[in-house]
Amino acid sequence: MAKEPKKIKRPRGTVRLIPGKCIACGARCQAECKFDAITMNENGEPIIDLEKCTRCQRCIKVCPVEAIEIYYTPEEQKILDELAKQKAAKPKPEPEEEKEDPRLAKLKEYKGVWVFTEHTEGKPAEVSWELLGVGADLAKARNVELCSVVIGEKVDHLCNEAFTYGASKVYLVDDPVFHYYRTESYYKAFCYLIEKYKPEIVLIGATGLGRDLAGAVATSLQTGLTADCTGLSIDDKGFLLQTRPAFGGNIMATILTEFTRPQMSTVRPHVMPLPAKDASRKGTIIREKVPLKEEDIAAKVLEIIGDEKLDSVDVAAADIIISGGRGMCNTENYKILQELADELGGVVACSRAAVEAGWMPLERQVGQTGKTVRPKIYFAVGISGAIQHLVGMQDSDTIIAINRDKQAPIFEVATFGIVGDLFQVIPAITAYVRERRKQKAGKAG
Amino acid sequence: MTATVITFIIVLILALAFFAYSCYQRFGLVLKGKPDNRFNAIGKRLGNMLFYAFGQRRVVKKPFGINHFVLFWAFMILLISNTEFLLNGLAPDTISFSLLPDGAYFTLALIFDIMSLLALIAVVLAIIRRFTFPPPYTEARSSDAFIILGLVAGLMIAFFGMNACEIAAGTDRAGVWMPVANWVASWLPSGASGLDTGAQVCWWIHAVILLAFLNYLPYSKHMHVLTSIPNCFFKALEKVKTQSREEFKKGNTFGVGEVENFSWKGLFDSYSCTECGRCSDACPATFTGKPLQPRLVIHDIKMNLLKNADKDGHKELPLIGVEGEGSVKEEVIWECTTCGACMEVCPVFIEHVPRIVDMRRYMVETKAKFPEELLLLFENMEQRSNPWGIAPAERTKWSADIDVKPFEAGKTEYLFYVGCAGALDARNRHTTISLAKIFDKAGISWGTLGRDEMCCGDSLRRLGNEYVFEKMAQANIKMFAEKGVKKIITQCPHCFSTLKNDYRQYGVELEVVHHTEFIYQLIQEGRLKLKSDTDLGKIIYHDSCYLGRYNGIYEAPRRIIASATGSAPLEMERNRENGFCCGAGGGRMWMEEKEGSLINVARVEEALKKQPDTVCVACPYCMTMFDDGLKDKEASDKVRVLDLAEIVANALPDE
Repeated sequence: MAKEPKKIKRPRGTVRLIPGKCIACGARCQAECKFDAITMNENGEPIIDLEKCTRCQRCIKVCPVEAIEIYYTPEEQKILDELAKQKAAKPKPEPEEEKEDPRLAKLKEYKGVWVFTEHTEGKPAEVSWELLGVGADLAKARNVELCSVVIGEKVDHLCNEAFTYGASKVYLVDDPVFHYYRTESYYKAFCYLIEKYKPEIVLIGATGLGRDLAGAVATSLQTGLTADCTGLSIDDKGFLLQTRPAFGGNIMATILTEFTRPQMSTVRPHVMPLPAKDASRKGTIIREKVPLKEEDIAAKVLEIIGDEKLDSVDVAAADIIISGGRGMCNTENYKILQELADELGGVVACSRAAVEAGWMPLERQVGQTGKTVRPKIYFAVGISGAIQHLVGMQDSDTIIAINRDKQAPIFEVATFGIVGDLFQVIPAITAYVRERRKQKAGKAG
Repeated sequence: MTATVITFIIVLILALAFFAYSCYQRFGLVLKGKPDNRFNAIGKRLGNMLFYAFGQRRVVKKPFGINHFVLFWAFMILLISNTEFLLNGLAPDTISFSLLPDGAYFTLALIFDIMSLLALIAVVLAIIRRFTFPPPYTEARSSDAFIILGLVAGLMIAFFGMNACEIAAGTDRAGVWMPVANWVASWLPSGASGLDTGAQVCWWIHAVILLAFLNYLPYSKHMHVLTSIPNCFFKALEKVKTQSREEFKKGNTFGVGEVENFSWKGLFDSYSCTECGRCSDACPATFTGKPLQPRLVIHDIKMNLLKNADKDGHKELPLIGVEGEGSVKEEVIWECTTCGACMEVCPVFIEHVPRIVDMRRYMVETKAKFPEELLLLFENMEQRSNPWGIAPAERTKWSADIDVKPFEAGKTEYLFYVGCAGALDARNRHTTISLAKIFDKAGISWGTLGRDEMCCGDSLRRLGNEYVFEKMAQANIKMFAEKGVKKIITQCPHCFSTLKNDYRQYGVELEVVHHTEFIYQLIQEGRLKLKSDTDLGKIIYHDSCYLGRYNGIYEAPRRIIASATGSAPLEMERNRENGFCCGAGGGRMWMEEKEGSLINVARVEEALKKQPDTVCVACPYCMTMFDDGLKDKEASDKVRVLDLAEIVANALPDE
């Protein structure tokens, strides 16, 4: 009888929390543990009962910040290495066929990346073209077609524009019943198209209209919808990875729609870059007739109340905002903000105090009773940061606060803060930007 | 039966018939209103009627009101005289006071004579007033006003004339007992032949004026003569602190867009309005030059009801949105801060605020037409359960540096309901932290709901978004029940009033107390001792509407300040029940003031008149309003704003 190598007991190791790493995501580890080995302490951190733990490591995998680890002492590690050596010496068995989940088989029928073209009576919303950019990447990764969906009346021109932004096909539903957007007509048409042509991915801009439509479509089709995505990509299994901030922005969550199709996402305007336009591109238009009658739709558009202030500055649309508050002291001083805005390509806004004092017009007001803005950069200059103002700008990507009061609440939300005299800081920034510009121009020329 | 009597019978029948018809027509309109039970607790209601209507309680709070008191009682007493007068006209020889024994007859004669004189003087004073120091609105000098005053004067003069002629003719033995009539008689030639005719003429003048006056009542603002006493009977038994619930069922109407959708009491209110203008005088919106004038709102409701009287179904004159009499302009509806000052001073207990909220409900729930700024508020409330749309996880940020325990049923006695401002507003967090210190010092068993706390929904209810409010209230009540919450201390008076008074409509009785009351209780019980040497300079106290007028808390905060500083605080000119609103209630915190001057600045100016060093408030809205107002007046480096809790925390003993 050949002497078999001594059966060494595989060390179990210790599953433990790495101190300080837990972000209290909401007890995902506890939810994942099938052996009830995890309880949460009052800080939302896991307490692992090693008696119950089977070392299955599911909690380690599900933790979004890798705060749980399995730890082996040096002795245990030696044993593990020994076992690994033994395993390497053994002949390898045939790899088992990975059994495919039967649910996934049905999903293979769905192919194609669709982007909804939003428009108001024929005027397209730019986000529709932005989504064609990221849509093209997704379609390429999946090796499928990128298509646009256009629903409206007399909107052929939108099809052509979609081609120039990268769509190879447009599904067009053109009928008077779709002249104005109404939830009922649009979602029914969209669902009709999706059920007929089975796209695997549908992207819609996260505008008011888009959110309304996306929710209705997803509910009707009983499929998953992820709103306000900041990132979209395809994983190695071909699933759409939808990334968005969660838990008040404390973490980035990546969401999968595993078992239903289409995978639907909405993306905010100005998050994805506009793709290059190619005027020569052409594509196929597939015209569809959706069986909808005006009489069947309960909602009627009676009146459209327009925004009369069409030609004044819309601070809500700007990417860079330089906003001045009570600290500005008078109207003339806003000139220094305007200079900086000109250098950076931004617009000047203000807090309510400035409007009340008569320094700036009402349409520039940011805040609870003014506009809500989400620019890439928000300069809060001489603004204390009272909650009524924060409401209007707290979702800005980067907040730069300049205030001479270091206790000002604005510093609690600012990404960068300067405690100083704005009348010195702002001109200094402007001068610096100007200088850098000159240098760059000098280098290029 | 003489020709005179027959004529009079005809005249009387016609007059009374027409009067009955007018009343039937007018009050028939009131009955079109929605049901409202105002017939319970009859005893208490009669008491109210006696005290407020007959006692003219609120009328005399203003000095010139005494004039009306006199006029009212003169009328009441002269009712007896006038009843006899009319009956006497029917049966001149059988019904007359003169048939009574001398003692009785002379006493009555004297009383009636003096009363008529007082009435006449009152009327003359009223006429003079309208020319010298009139109420600030033009209708005070309208033809309606002068007609009434003229008629009353005429009535009195005719009365004197009639008696004077009879005295001079020797047909009235009470002569000396009617001093005024007697004096007039002395100017008349005694025994002259024309005297009988004179008496007759005066008699007829008196009769015609009386019946004309009676018939004029339903067509003028003097309808209040008929309705004000019943209106006091029908007045709300408890102070009006909430609005009624709505039933969200298919087929119901929501809010009031047509005048008949008001409760019948609301319509009756509009008939009872005497157009005295006390409400508008007290209103912060009116004071700062805004179109909202409570008196006009009530007037418009009445005119709308009357102008649409014959049109069942399609209404010609809409209740809301049209310029002119009988329609309430949209912006007027939104300018109300629900401070309740109007209801506090109204002598006939008209309920202005519920009417305005009724119309707001219509605008929000049926028309979806409301100021733009509210869209963000409604969204934030629905989605994040706070007015600023901040992530609920941030609600525990205020307690980051201190030890705060979660509320546990059976273990914790008091739930400290922090409120949205208390948790999320940077300035107001200091108040919350101060309260935590105070509770710990007093050894109170307290805990919070932490991130689970949701907004009480006050702003939404006052703004007319009743549907969302109902959802929020039910969610809160469910949570309180699940967590076993019984006693609640609130930081904010709006949370306090809503949890205490509004949530009761959902069948739950919560023991809710505001932090000022609670601190006072602790001091009384000896559980909290304060150093009494806090030096914050001169402190002036501002009464919050939802603490003061709504819930009657006036003395506790003042006594606390006295405990902490050794002396009572300074008082604003308008204090306690007459306190002037900071301008943020009724959901106005979330809106812009588009017309007139700013309410909060007006209040700050009032405070600054007393040159304080510190303004003491007990409400997060008031705090924000004063903060901003002082900055606007460039006084924030001279005057600071502190919550009562902060003052108390400052005065806690050191160990």
